[in-house]
Amino acid sequence: MFQVLDSAVPVACWSCSVAHNESTLFCPHCSKIQPPIGGNYYSVFSLEPRLNLDLAALEQEFHRLSRKLHPDRFARATDSEKEWSLADTALLNDAYRTLRDPLRRTEYLLKLHGAEIGEEHSGKDRPKGEMGASRAPADLLEEVFDLNMQIEEMRMARASGEDDPVLAKSLSEAKAKFEGLQAEVDNDLHAQWTAWDNGDEPARQAAQKTMVALLDRRRYLSNLVREVSETMGA
Amino acid sequence: MAYSDKVVDHYNNPRNVGTLDKSSNEVGTGLVGAPECGDVMRLQIRVNPETQVIEEAKFKTFGCGSAIASSSLATEWIKGRKVEEALAIKNTDIVKELSLPPVKIHCSVLAEDAIKAAIGDWKKKNGVAEAAETAHVQVAAQ
Repeated sequence: MFQVLDSAVPVACWSCSVAHNESTLFCPHCSKIQPPIGGNYYSVFSLEPRLNLDLAALEQEFHRLSRKLHPDRFARATDSEKEWSLADTALLNDAYRTLRDPLRRTEYLLKLHGAEIGEEHSGKDRPKGEMGASRAPADLLEEVFDLNMQIEEMRMARASGEDDPVLAKSLSEAKAKFEGLQAEVDNDLHAQWTAWDNGDEPARQAAQKTMVALLDRRRYLSNLVREVSETMGA
Repeated sequence: MAYSDKVVDHYNNPRNVGTLDKSSNEVGTGLVGAPECGDVMRLQIRVNPETQVIEEAKFKTFGCGSAIASSSLATEWIKGRKVEEALAIKNTDIVKELSLPPVKIHCSVLAEDAIKAAIGDWKKKNGVAEAAETAHVQVAAQ
């Protein structure tokens, strides 16, 4: 699935034969483009895998690498180099989109560290007690249930061509509330970053566990908000 | 993935959809949800205080076909049973009856949780102490 982190196995540059860390896009010695390095988005930017990132520096580095990978620069290069530059560009874009987004970055990095987040693990037959009600956002269940009732009513009203302004108003209020809860989760996640980045192993494990739960909650909330938006926009 | 005939049947003709009076002392309400898929399930029971028999069971589920079928089946099974017997229903019984594939096992877990939550609520209302080993009561599920 994902590559193991810290894959700093030195390999020889195909062009100048000087050994370099395999996770660089360009040979530090002769500056030639290197074969694609595989899936780790942090190594694309030569960054330490951390949750706290300097976004301005990330953006600068993204633009610098984009320019370096621009097809015009490979007009007279070998076919292999052309191919690599395209593959690296795709990787660079994916890496940038993932790392600049706080949620996607957190999810990505925790997954690299073996965390199971979201749909992928939902189907597995987990030991009893780790799933079901104990993992659901119990504090939200009432509201989630009511919201679903309203969504259903709204759909029925829509289907029969009716317009229900009271229902629409209460749905949009509910949507605003759940968006507020999303923002809270985002703040709670952010609060764990430093513990994960700088903490010792137990602290990091604890932060990771908290964040996995928060990400599950976040996903749950986003699904709801999306459903409300779809219903209201229909 | 195709749904089994039994799932499709429960999905198309769900049994016991509805609401019971939440404020009644004879009624227990269980509300459970799965964060992964966003399913929410409400299961309610009305228990005869004399006999401890579940005389009525209603549910309302927002979720996939398997979640609806699991809760529909659960209400069918608990109706007419004594509370302690209903607690013996296992999610694996539901999986077997509905031929749920592995990715849908969590739907059956949700249904089992909903039964337990509804009974728990009823017990709380009526001051019944939680029997510690209820899970070991063996009752055939079908």
